[in-house]
Amino acid sequence: MTRDLIIGMAGSGGDGIVSAGESLIAACAAEGYHAIMTKSFGSQIRGGESSCRVRLAIDPVLNPGGALDVAVALNWEDFLKFGAELPVGGETVVIYDSATGVPPEKVPLTGISPSEVFAVPIGEMARKATGTDKAKNTVVLGLLSGWFGIVRDGVMKGMRKKLAKKGAEVLEANERAFQAGIDYAAAHPLRTSRTMEKPARPGVKLLTDGNDICAAAAIFSGCQFFGGYPITPSTEVMQLLTREIWKYGGAVLQAEDEIAGIGAALGASFAGKKSMTATSGPGMSLKTEVLGLASIAELPLVIVNVQRGGPSTGMPTKSEQSDLFQAVFSGHGDVVRPVLAPTTVSDTFDVTVEAFNLAEKYQTPVIVLSDQEIAQRKEVIDPIDTSRFTVVDRLRPNDAELEDYARFRLTDSGVSPISHPGLEGGNYLGAGIEHNEQGDPTASGAMHAKMTAKRFRKLDPLRERTDLFRIEGDPEAPLALISWGSTAGVCREALQLARAERLKVKLLVPYLLHPIAEGVYRRFFESVKAGLVVEQSYQGQLYRLLRTQLDLPKGLRPFCRTGANPFRPREVVDTLREAVLSLQRSVEDARQPQE
Amino acid sequence: MTSLPTLTAKDFKSDLKPIWCPGCGDFGVLQALYRALAAIGRPPHEIAFISGIGCSSRIPGYTTAYGFNSVHGRALPIAQGIKLARPELLVLAAGGDGDGFSIGGGHVPHAIRRNIDITYIVMDNQIYGLTKGQLSPTSPKGLHTVTSGYGSLENPINPLLYTLAYGAPFVAQGTPADMAGLASILEEAIRYPGFSFVNVQSPCVTYGEECQQVKAQKTKMKPLASLGHDASNLLSALDLSRSYGTELYTGVLYRNPQPPPSMDAQVVERQQRLAQGALPRERILDLFVQK
Amino acid sequence: MTTKGIDFGKLSLKDALDLAVLIEEEARDRYEEFVDQMRQHRTPEASRFFAFMAGNEEKHRAELAERRGELFEDQPVAVTREMVFDVEAPEYDEARAFMTVREALQAAFRAEKKAYAFFSDALRRIPGGDVKVLFEELRQEEIEHQRLVLAELEKTPPDPSIRQDDVADEPAAL
Repeated sequence: MTRDLIIGMAGSGGDGIVSAGESLIAACAAEGYHAIMTKSFGSQIRGGESSCRVRLAIDPVLNPGGALDVAVALNWEDFLKFGAELPVGGETVVIYDSATGVPPEKVPLTGISPSEVFAVPIGEMARKATGTDKAKNTVVLGLLSGWFGIVRDGVMKGMRKKLAKKGAEVLEANERAFQAGIDYAAAHPLRTSRTMEKPARPGVKLLTDGNDICAAAAIFSGCQFFGGYPITPSTEVMQLLTREIWKYGGAVLQAEDEIAGIGAALGASFAGKKSMTATSGPGMSLKTEVLGLASIAELPLVIVNVQRGGPSTGMPTKSEQSDLFQAVFSGHGDVVRPVLAPTTVSDTFDVTVEAFNLAEKYQTPVIVLSDQEIAQRKEVIDPIDTSRFTVVDRLRPNDAELEDYARFRLTDSGVSPISHPGLEGGNYLGAGIEHNEQGDPTASGAMHAKMTAKRFRKLDPLRERTDLFRIEGDPEAPLALISWGSTAGVCREALQLARAERLKVKLLVPYLLHPIAEGVYRRFFESVKAGLVVEQSYQGQLYRLLRTQLDLPKGLRPFCRTGANPFRPREVVDTLREAVLSLQRSVEDARQPQE
Repeated sequence: MTSLPTLTAKDFKSDLKPIWCPGCGDFGVLQALYRALAAIGRPPHEIAFISGIGCSSRIPGYTTAYGFNSVHGRALPIAQGIKLARPELLVLAAGGDGDGFSIGGGHVPHAIRRNIDITYIVMDNQIYGLTKGQLSPTSPKGLHTVTSGYGSLENPINPLLYTLAYGAPFVAQGTPADMAGLASILEEAIRYPGFSFVNVQSPCVTYGEECQQVKAQKTKMKPLASLGHDASNLLSALDLSRSYGTELYTGVLYRNPQPPPSMDAQVVERQQRLAQGALPRERILDLFVQK
Repeated sequence: MTTKGIDFGKLSLKDALDLAVLIEEEARDRYEEFVDQMRQHRTPEASRFFAFMAGNEEKHRAELAERRGELFEDQPVAVTREMVFDVEAPEYDEARAFMTVREALQAAFRAEKKAYAFFSDALRRIPGGDVKVLFEELRQEEIEHQRLVLAELEKTPPDPSIRQDDVADEPAAL
């Protein structure tokens, strides 16, 4: 019985292939499977090539996976445009519409012999069932259901809900199309069975994506204001909040530009409300000045950057991890701010809640570095117990402190109680200009030194936050993987593969990228002889960032590349082996007597 | 909302000494603002005063209100965020002509069309004072400045026509040459329920021309009331506003007699209406449950 | 210089006295602002002169306040500073960085002339009685003040042909 199945489908936008994927993953959730779905498009708004991958499994799915187990091509021209997203291998079952006129022996997959190939009269079956070939995607769902033993009830239930408004006739036609697929599969069974195991205890599952769960986490944390601007791939964060936040006494402003978005969010924070903005790389560049203002005015603010291919316009629909330098270093002057990164849809909730807590506790902007992959992939996850989270509010001045209130009092911790308009006695001048304890503008060198030190030292406790790091594997292992963001999911699976292959590896996943918790890294590196820092950027930004502050083990090297070229668990393990071999070779070379 | 009619101008004066050059028009604006706020009677802690960067943007620090001297050109977005987050506050925004109409120009139409209940005061002196006398978007064509040594080749922006054209329900112009008038205008603008704009011809004593200074303004100014202008007549206001740069009209140019509902009022109404449908925060993830 | 909301035809003596006190108070406060401005802009001689003027205004204010106290004791004050705009107080644009004492004197002189004009104008609308007597007295005092200032002006040497402004550094860019 199969416990893990990766299905890739492609066609043109009009074929509803992504819609089929969505029905599929919803049905997976209903039946209790864990699943991840990613989508990929061409550059047309509608009707261009489009594809999706659904990976479903009994156990939680760590990443979208590698080569497909099942490939569905409604036409070959569109399918072949997704070579990177839909890799076909020797184990793949290929299903395609026979209307393409391509015989099974001649499928255009150069150099690959898939395990089974089915030329199915999908269009014809759709026409027979519904009178039009528009229901091709429903036939495909039937085929998948039949061949792999999945989602039959889930799809039927989903269809009933989705098509309820369209009337009985349409529903019945679609049910016929679905059944046609199932019947075809029964009549043409697979040579090797790939029937999916059924989940033992299905239970309730959540179906959502990184952007939506980020917005939900904001509401959970008590966020009452969002200011932002539409930008792919972050817009969904704003959109969910425009549906929900009013119910909690909050407001959303879709501003006229990125700067106004963060400006309004900062204003709301100044007014004493928890506040947030979300954007992608280009928007972060525009927001940089106001980010600096937030730092010097010591105002809490959460800024979500859903990273995409850069620089400049880059690749709006592709994931990358190349904004780390910007998150850490951008902005003029001596500025420091916490940078957090989720690794899955599920922990995007945890990380966003933590971001609000840090912002409030330390009166600082906090950047959440999500990425397009996590943000826009649909994931079926186990329910999250919200009672395990604590929500932190900013430190407000007590009555005694209001008697002689100094907004920027130079406390030992660096955190000074913060008032807001409406609070009597707490009046102060907030400003981007350097200031004294009262908030009055100053150009004094001594005061600037003290204030800068205050703004830096208040974040020192973050260096001790070992709970913002996850280490998996044998703590004494000599081989290491370090990864962050969506790539961490790939490395988790690589870790499993490596350990199954008897490699002594451990994995470090930092959720806190900055300030750098030097102690955590040093302790991790004690046993390490070789390893990889795996990340999706040309420069290997985390690797380089760590090198600015730490000595890294000699054998630790970057395994990095640009986006739209996701890592696969297998290649991580293979590259790790290469790194080990090359280290061994250099050790042996060093031992050779001089010629 | 508390209201203490016994507040005086002194209650709004902070201890911070203005850095403005003696003779600066902004002193008059500040004094008129103290008077206006005293007349309105909201206590300082219920007032948020946001500015950008420039000489005139220093003004919040010279009042006892909660001030936010932010970054160049971004006072309006920040002020709108404050008002939407806490609609019960009295929110003021201020800055110069460069802060408002050059770098900040992109924000003006949107602040107006949202009609959020804030008052925007621009101290218009047709020059960049803080940075030593460069051209500003309201500088007249042909003006010689340190960045237009051969004379400006650009036509100026018309703040009055601009704001009226974008639909501001309250537009006025004042000058410190008529302090009583300016205090009246500011008071009326602040009281107006919706976005109100006051352009103040506040001359720069260091970089401005003699003909721009307060003494000259006293003879040049033409109070709209004395011209028999009907401030509820938008077309008439638009027509008068075209003389910006040649005539110094003071008073209320336009006041929409039926103030349209402000965005902040509508937000509050929406929040009250939707509150019943809220999932408890701890159960927010129910939004994603697959049944 | 103007007033707001005052009907001179119906002014009571108490109100008139209180108004006079407020006028002196406004002038005193304005001169004190000028003291600060001149000090901040390193114009000490003008600063000292304005301090002297502030002291004068305070003296007048105190005298009038005492008179008021004798006549009306603790009776509440019905007029406010908000009704008074730059009556005797020099207007803000009278001050200049690096102004000479002569120029400061001239500013004070103009302020006193303004005050005189105010009382003259008010008198045209006051029918008679105590208030008229009071305002005539106050107007007369303004003439006195003008004489004093002129006398000082005469004693003050003419301004040098080289102004501080000519020597001073260019304004800073902030």
